[in-house]
This record gives sequence, structure tokens and C-alpha cells, in this order.
Amino acid sequence: MESRPRALTILDIATILLFIIAVGLVFFYAPMEAVMGQVQRVFYFHVANAWVGMLGFLVAAIAGVAFLRTSNRKWDIVGLAAIEISFVFFFIAIASGSIWARGSWGTWWTWDPRLTTSAIVELVYAAYFMLRQGIEDPDRRARFGAVYAVLSFISVPITFISIRIFRTIHPVILGIGSAGAEGSFDMTPKMLLTFMFSLLTFSFVFADLLWHRIRLGSLADQAENLKMKVLE
Amino acid sequence: MLIAILQEAPAETTGYMIAGYGVIFSIMLIYIASIFIRRRNLKRRMAMLEEMQGKQE
Repeated sequence: MESRPRALTILDIATILLFIIAVGLVFFYAPMEAVMGQVQRVFYFHVANAWVGMLGFLVAAIAGVAFLRTSNRKWDIVGLAAIEISFVFFFIAIASGSIWARGSWGTWWTWDPRLTTSAIVELVYAAYFMLRQGIEDPDRRARFGAVYAVLSFISVPITFISIRIFRTIHPVILGIGSAGAEGSFDMTPKMLLTFMFSLLTFSFVFADLLWHRIRLGSLADQAENLKMKVLE
Repeated sequence: MLIAILQEAPAETTGYMIAGYGVIFSIMLIYIASIFIRRRNLKRRMAMLEEMQGKQE
């Protein structure tokens, strides 16, 4: 059984330290927003979670292309790991966004273009797991998974640009949003620093979790191969 | 002084902030724990399979 790489331990420690600093910035450094009050603080980790979601779906699409070109099973493990992490983090972004919306817009949910496309993305990737569950042969499962990961990624940029091209109440933090956006605010330098630091921290969280999840996937593969040998 | 009186105070939304971060931290924690639990279970399973393989040989 492979031992834990030293670089992974260093990444674990760096990620934990960054996370603690990010939490400190969110609660003790960033000022309270003048209109929304404390609920605005949810925004820092809400956006960071959505960022991890989109980043992972992109990694999975790239891994899908790599698998289709090389047929190397390691890319299937990478793709599955990235989608699993992103699925969880994107769900957190939707749930925390809903709580923010209740405090800010007065409603838990509205069928706004951003919220609707986000829900579609989550459902599209939920179907990825169902697809994999339904295929017994590992090679066929990996091939179908790779194709699905590439095709389903189309839904991600649509969600990203939805608040920039449709009339929506979802605020745009960086860039120009819709005139009907509610809950927009001007970021002070302290808010911007906290926001950027949160994005950096969650990039580390993603990299760290991806590494752990890939190791788990490799171990599962080894266990499956060993089981086959024992059964022969 | 007059401006200070006329200015509206921020909305009282502390409860939503606590709920938001409660959800964020809880789900993250559960997911991280799930990775470690699954890894531990896989290692146990592999040890068992290796033992079975050893008996066969």
C-alpha cells in the first residue's frame, strides 16, 4: 500500500492554515455591509464554493478529453474525483445562496436565470453518478463517464454568464450586472481582499481534496483488482 | 447628527449568517469525514482480501 506523500501533508497544513485565516478575515476583518447586514458575509464562502464547483467540472471535462485520447484509467479516477468534489461544493453554494437570498431578497428561492441554471448544473452532474452506477464494465463506464463529463460541462459556462446576459435579480460582483439586480453592493478594499483570499483558500481546498480523492479512487481500483484475483 | 439619525441601520440578519455558515461548515466536514471513512474501510477490505489471497496460495 502506498505511503502518504510528504507534499500532500504540506498541502494539508497549508490548506488548514489558509482556511483558518480566511475564516478570520470573513468574521473579524471584513466590515459589515451597510444595507444587508451580517448575512452579506455568507457571500465570501458562497462564491468560493461556486468557484470550486465550476473549477472541478472543468477539471473533469479536461480529464474526460485526456481519457478519450489515452484510454488511461487514471484520468477516469481524476474525473470522478473532480466531479464528486464539485458536486458537493456546488450544492453548498446553492444552499448557502438560498439562505443569503432569504435574508437579502426575502425569499429562499426564485426561478431566476442564475438560480435555475445552477439547479440544472447540479441535476446534470447528479445524473453522472447514476450513469456510472448503471454500467458494470469498468472500461465502458470510464468511456461513457468521460463523454458525459465533457458534454455536461456545456452547462457550466451558461450558468456563469447567465447573470451577465439575462435580466436577473442575482447580483454581479465583478463586472456589470443586470439593472434589476438586488443585493448588489460596492466592495470596500477590505471586502475585496477577503473575497480574493477566500477564492485562493478554496482553490487550495479543492487541490487538497482532489489529491485525497484521487488516492481514494486509486485504492478502490486496487481493491477491485485484488477482489478479481481472489475470485479467479 | 441629523444624518446619523436619518441613516437606516443595517438589516438584522445575523441568524441567516449563522445558518449560512452552519450549512457550509457542516457539509464540508461531512464530506471530508466521508473521504477518510471510505479510505479506512477500503484499507480494511484490502487487508482482508490480501489475507484471503495468502490463504489461497
